[in-house]
Amino acid sequence: MRKLRIIAGLVVAGLAAAGLAACSASGDAGGKVTVNWWTWDDRQAAAYKLCIPGFEKQNPDITVKISQYNVDDYFTKLTAGFVAGTAPDAFQNSVPLLGAYAGQKQIMPLDDLIKKTHYDLGQFSVGVDSWKYLDGKQYGIPLDWAGAAIYFNEDMITAAGYTDDDIQNMTWNPDDGGTFDKIVAHLTIDKNGVRGDEPGFDKNNVKTYGIGTLAAADFNGQTSWNPFVSTLGWRLGGDKKAWPTELPYGDPRLIKTLDYIKGLGDRGLMPKYGQFTVSAAEQMGAGSVAMAQDGTWTATSITKVPGIKVGIARTVKGPEGRSMISNSNANNIFVGTKHVDETWKWVSYMGSLACQTTAGKTATFLPSIAQALQSTVDAQKAEGIDLSTFVQALNDKELYPAPPTVNGQELTDTIQPEFEAFFNGEKDDSIFPQMQKQTQQILAKK
Amino acid sequence: MTLPNAAPAALPAATAARSRRGRRPVNAAAPSHRGDARLAWVLITPSVIGFLVFAVYPTLRGIYFSFTDYHLLSAPTWIGFDNFVELIHDGTFWASLAVTVYFVVIAVALTLVIAIVTAAVLHRVTRSTVVRGLIILPFLISGVVAATVWSWMLDAQLGIVNSVIHAFGGQGIQFLTARQWAIPSIALIHVWKNMGYTSIILFAGLQTIPPSIYEAGRIDGASETSMFFRLTLPLLRPILALVVVLNVIGAFQVFDIVSVATRPPGGPANATNVLQMYIYKKGFGQFDFGYASTMSLALFAMLIIITFVQMRLLRASESDNA
Repeated sequence: MRKLRIIAGLVVAGLAAAGLAACSASGDAGGKVTVNWWTWDDRQAAAYKLCIPGFEKQNPDITVKISQYNVDDYFTKLTAGFVAGTAPDAFQNSVPLLGAYAGQKQIMPLDDLIKKTHYDLGQFSVGVDSWKYLDGKQYGIPLDWAGAAIYFNEDMITAAGYTDDDIQNMTWNPDDGGTFDKIVAHLTIDKNGVRGDEPGFDKNNVKTYGIGTLAAADFNGQTSWNPFVSTLGWRLGGDKKAWPTELPYGDPRLIKTLDYIKGLGDRGLMPKYGQFTVSAAEQMGAGSVAMAQDGTWTATSITKVPGIKVGIARTVKGPEGRSMISNSNANNIFVGTKHVDETWKWVSYMGSLACQTTAGKTATFLPSIAQALQSTVDAQKAEGIDLSTFVQALNDKELYPAPPTVNGQELTDTIQPEFEAFFNGEKDDSIFPQMQKQTQQILAKK
Repeated sequence: MTLPNAAPAALPAATAARSRRGRRPVNAAAPSHRGDARLAWVLITPSVIGFLVFAVYPTLRGIYFSFTDYHLLSAPTWIGFDNFVELIHDGTFWASLAVTVYFVVIAVALTLVIAIVTAAVLHRVTRSTVVRGLIILPFLISGVVAATVWSWMLDAQLGIVNSVIHAFGGQGIQFLTARQWAIPSIALIHVWKNMGYTSIILFAGLQTIPPSIYEAGRIDGASETSMFFRLTLPLLRPILALVVVLNVIGAFQVFDIVSVATRPPGGPANATNVLQMYIYKKGFGQFDFGYASTMSLALFAMLIIITFVQMRLLRASESDNA
């Protein structure tokens, strides 16, 4: 038995050594240091590759290797890399995971490097504060920002008697829905050609809905209900901009907003939760919806849907103006990197006006640096896509950053089914105060 | 005092050891087999190593983790029975267990009924190996592929099944996105995939029944149906027991179909949040490996108890043939 144990031990050790050797994180290729960088977005991987020549010219002794893994596997692969010590030197990360990675000391604070190299965090218009951990240190350099926009079918708008300006300036409130409600109702057409605001409208047989569904179950409602409720002054973190102790789902302003949105589905003006299984771009392409509120990151693909002309509008203007939550992904550095200085050079180069302008021109992301964002807008204008509303949103300070939280995944897993149950009619709005209590428990966990 | 007591106690043990040796097959010690032990060890060593490394060690480590607070990226901390206390008070765990049991009941019952009928028809009507091959085909397809294809076919908006329903004037069904339909739909995919394998095992069992029994039955004037219930089923009991146990364990472990066919996985509103999915989310989503291990241990214990009870109830080791 003892012999067997020794044999088993040797085999395991051999396998582990072979595994480690096979996926070594970074190496020195011919005197050059290789910096590995990961992203989950194939389009951003291609965009940032455009920055490599400029960087390697400045740093001839460093080679950059960009790898992309699908978002479904990305974080599992990253975690396996942390455990095995083979994680990339630097990688793109999302705010909800800052708590887990910084809390378990897998990413390094960057304050010393920032100070040593006089790196200017002030150049970013948005996203810096989202990457400060509970210890007050900066763990991420913002890469981009993302919010919501309303995309609309130009022909359907014109046929309904509206102009682009009407859509750009839609007002909203939770009581009568403002001009947004009137426009959505008028854009909705049933199978018999009757509009949603005309007598005889058949809400059970709708051909074109005024707006794609706003009933989404993610815990911050980034591209669905958030740009509505935020215009009432509601914020996801309550009074706290970072590391909230509860999420105020029990707030009457949120409950009223969600009741209004669910009501749009019940009135037949918006597809119900789970009714459509294809993306907003496909729904617009098929003529199933006249407008759709979706992420800013879909702007370049949704405007290229063949056969229709798609316009981009700002989110609705509510009682307290326009407002929406924005999420900024950032670059983190793995504590296990063997080349801290070289990795920092790449990370700080990615967070420079030069790289953000070069990579940002593809509009696969919206740069956090205002000047680079303007370059993105100019470059896209030449291609016939008008992204100027995004600059307005940034300049008019309509964005409020998503607060970083602890236990982000547990929040998602707990809150999502509750939202689903509300939107599909299994539960009523009495669940929201209870959800708020659940968030208190999850956010209090160490 | 010690010696007189110790001596008798040692005796039965020695006797037992001798008697165990005595039960060894006679030819094992025969000259032609001498020296085989070493070769035998060499031959089974790869399997033994695999079993120790990939089954015994992870199981023991999993049991240890279930008593710890372990978040993967930092060392586990011993917390005694805290995870088990949390388990008892975790409403989502019990809801997941209920969802799993609901799935197991539908999946196993349907698989068995369809597989028995298929096996009986194969046995009595055709001996064609082509037909047998066709029946086992879905089992050979990966669970992920089966789930993907079925999720397309059952899609509420674009699926062919709903197109057919619409063509006949019916209202579309949200197979995978409505609570009342989600588990039955997942169970149907599971049945489609596993029915063939179960049928073939049952078919093999049927072939062990001597044809003379059916001849005798026919001479006594029994109909096919009554022979099925009075001869086939009782004689098939040991195989049926095996099939039931395997199917129940397999159904309890359902994960791939749920993970691929439901969006978000386990949805809508946790309607398909089966136990394995919940364990996966806790472990690989939230990195709470301590608590995930506790739930795995609970599932392990449940499966052992269920299997034991099934074996007893079905008297699996004996058939009515005796």
